[in-house]
Amino acid sequence: MPRLVAAAGALAVTLTAGLATPLDPAPRRAEAAPAEKVLTVAVAQSVDSLSPFLAVRLVSTSILRLTYEYLTDYDPADARPVPGLATDWAPSADKLTWTYTIRSDATWSDGQKVTAQDAAWTFDKLMTDEAAATANGSFVSNFRKVTAPSPTKLVIELKKPQATMTALDVPIVPRHVWEKVTDFSAFNNDKTFPIVGDGPFVLTDYRPDSYVRLKANKTFWRGAPKFDELVFKYYKDQDAAVAALRKGEVSFVAGSPSLTPAQAASLKGEKNVRVNDAPGRRFYALATNPGARARNGEKFGDGDPSLLDRRVRHALFMAVDRKTLVDKVFQGHAVEGQGYLPPRFSSYFWQPSASQELTHDPARAAELLDRAGYRKNADGKRVGKDGKPLNYRVLCHATDPNDKAVGQYLEEWWGELGIGMRLDCLDNVTDPWLAGEYDLAFDGWSVNPDPDFVLSIHTCAALPGTPKDTGATDNFICDRTYDNLYTRQLAEYDSAERATLVKQAESRLYDLGYMNVMAYPNAVEAYRTDQIASITTMPEAAGNIYGQDGYWSWWSAVPADDSGSSGGGGSTGVVIGVVAGVVVLAGAGLFLARRRRATADDRE
Amino acid sequence: MSTEAARRGPRALARQRRRRSAARFWQQYRTHRAGLLGLAALVLFALVALTAPLTVGSGVSDVTDAPGRPLEAPSGRFPLGTDRFGRDLLGLVVWGSRVSLLVGLLAAVLSVAIGAVVGISAGHFRGAYGTVLMRITDWFLVMPTLVLAIALATVMSRSLGTVVLAIGVTSWPTTARLVRAQTLAVESRPYIERARALGGGHWHVMTRHVLPNVMPLVLAQTTLMVSSSILAEATLAFLGLGDPTVVSWGGLLQDAREAGAVSAGDWWYLVPPGIAIALVALAFTLCGRAVESVLNPRLGVTR
Repeated sequence: MPRLVAAAGALAVTLTAGLATPLDPAPRRAEAAPAEKVLTVAVAQSVDSLSPFLAVRLVSTSILRLTYEYLTDYDPADARPVPGLATDWAPSADKLTWTYTIRSDATWSDGQKVTAQDAAWTFDKLMTDEAAATANGSFVSNFRKVTAPSPTKLVIELKKPQATMTALDVPIVPRHVWEKVTDFSAFNNDKTFPIVGDGPFVLTDYRPDSYVRLKANKTFWRGAPKFDELVFKYYKDQDAAVAALRKGEVSFVAGSPSLTPAQAASLKGEKNVRVNDAPGRRFYALATNPGARARNGEKFGDGDPSLLDRRVRHALFMAVDRKTLVDKVFQGHAVEGQGYLPPRFSSYFWQPSASQELTHDPARAAELLDRAGYRKNADGKRVGKDGKPLNYRVLCHATDPNDKAVGQYLEEWWGELGIGMRLDCLDNVTDPWLAGEYDLAFDGWSVNPDPDFVLSIHTCAALPGTPKDTGATDNFICDRTYDNLYTRQLAEYDSAERATLVKQAESRLYDLGYMNVMAYPNAVEAYRTDQIASITTMPEAAGNIYGQDGYWSWWSAVPADDSGSSGGGGSTGVVIGVVAGVVVLAGAGLFLARRRRATADDRE
Repeated sequence: MSTEAARRGPRALARQRRRRSAARFWQQYRTHRAGLLGLAALVLFALVALTAPLTVGSGVSDVTDAPGRPLEAPSGRFPLGTDRFGRDLLGLVVWGSRVSLLVGLLAAVLSVAIGAVVGISAGHFRGAYGTVLMRITDWFLVMPTLVLAIALATVMSRSLGTVVLAIGVTSWPTTARLVRAQTLAVESRPYIERARALGGGHWHVMTRHVLPNVMPLVLAQTTLMVSSSILAEATLAFLGLGDPTVVSWGGLLQDAREAGAVSAGDWWYLVPPGIAIALVALAFTLCGRAVESVLNPRLGVTR
């Protein structure tokens, strides 16, 4: 009997706890006037920082892109540079001085005018304060001096010519606010709201892993957004996010990194839901540890020495059947991997020639391994000259189902070659990664319209200064030929010439075999058409919505006429919850009462 | 009687006694219908698991030569449909029973072994040693088992051994408490005092007198612990803390969740492993309850 009472008590406690959560948002919703058009986006990735000087994650940079304008933006149609804060820009004849004209019709959300001084101060801070250079330092490493001779004129002097001057993805911050910050490494910009900005939205509220709330900036120079409010709401479970979309609680789900094929297939048949399946801007690769080292020459980490042999690296990748991965793991929601940059960026897209392509060929892979001196022993395992069998650790993200799925294929493909493998799935891969304690790793980056950044992370200059430092490097690649090509493309102002050099760099990277691109995953996302009437994708023809190179999607989103009803779903849910809770409690009470009567009868 | 004993020797007598008590046990066990049902289910599951290499073969978990398309609905060819790789789910559920049962059994044995050692020694050495041990037990008892197991499984490498260890070292305190209580009860009996007077040391008392008397309790506890261990294994695997390359029921549920089968409504990916877990856990519980009531009639009426 006491046990039953305790159980009922526990039940009551859980019920009230369960009720507390759905009831909680209700009063907050009441604050908003009924006419407010709210666009709710389900996200899963945690915000690392709201400081534009520190944030590197996709969710944070996307949000900052909405709140701080950059010098230039990318056209949603073809990603060419279009005016942002700067209306006009031109290099000098010697290619070393760039002059930007800053628009005079932009204001900060606290009413002050946006001037060239703000931009100059931002760049200057990046150049002079190492803590401020954490996220965007790479953009200014070649700057000699930044000045603002007038409120509408910004002059940047360079040490060497730099082709990325119209692709400076640096949020310009208000000087009068940020001047007061003393320690940039500790300031996360999340204490005082609203955060002063000049983008299409103003950040008004944030609670970690709960929500990020933004209000439309009605005085935005390009025109006010159509929605009044934009809320990024956290759903750590993707199934929950999809269910919320089905019920209309959220207007948009991007998934992390995208919806699964099964979810996309089931949402396709849903009324009022559109699934956007577009070529993505990411590549999905298998990175090989080239022997981690620092700029000072010190080696660290414990990558398998056999991977230093290019034949071994090529053999490993030749055993990978990329077509099967696209077919089975991505179920067609991806494009087979080739060069480093995705085909979406057509001017820089490079394909290996027939003679250099590492096609799926297990027989040749075995031959390469034999030649490299790794022959099969009696147990069918490949052993090196020291008699130790080849056994690799593959670092995988525990949060990414694709990593685990692809890992299982790799284990079997490499198993047939006689190579052992262990899948190390971790929630936090950063620590072993930075320490160089892995053999191979699943890797992926979102590529910007200007490929400079994703190319720069494979240069020797990106290596950490000492083993204790954190470098910008992706996986410790350092190759002279590649570095040379990288430097040349950065200094080339002719876009066709530059594309040729970028392709040569990609070719070199491909031949090195340290970065093996397996696929370019599509962006698979879904939104409610009864809440969002139209939204701009990027590229406009067939592109993604979440994580664009710009604020086009949320800025352009047009609310559907009846989106006002979207608030109803939540309160209905609460009502249902309360009713269900009462019913369950009543049922439990009834059950208890009957039990009590039964025992009383027994006693008599 | 004494002549008979002399003729047949003490070992034969002991054997005969054991045989008789086993027969008596079985006779009483037979009267518990639920226990019989559980036992039948267990035998069935054990058979399925042991014969899996013959019926489905280890190839069933290979992703590279999966026979079907990903996430096919149940059909004549695949009675329970296919998983995200296109593997036959019926085969996977059968194959997964091996890992789930093995981990469940090993973890239960480990947990009960730790619990028995701690319980007997704490009950026997009642001084500072016993007190300290019991406070440690209390500490483990109030710690949320799952949180502790998750923490352990996270810091160690992902393998079956880790899961067994994580479950085993977190679920022993209940057994320790039970065994200690029984030890105290046994040690207060006069024959223990007699054994001591005849020169029996600590080891002799603990192994020859206390252990046989707590054994029924330990046995019943093991049977009950298996079901919770299987559930714990499934929970850990579902939370993504198992070895992703090993097929287990919890792992299948985790795969299903990651593939988005929940929101896509692909029920055939979720239901079979879920039901299998529930059935095995139920079967072990039914057996455990029956064993418990046979060995310890003082527990009172059983249904």
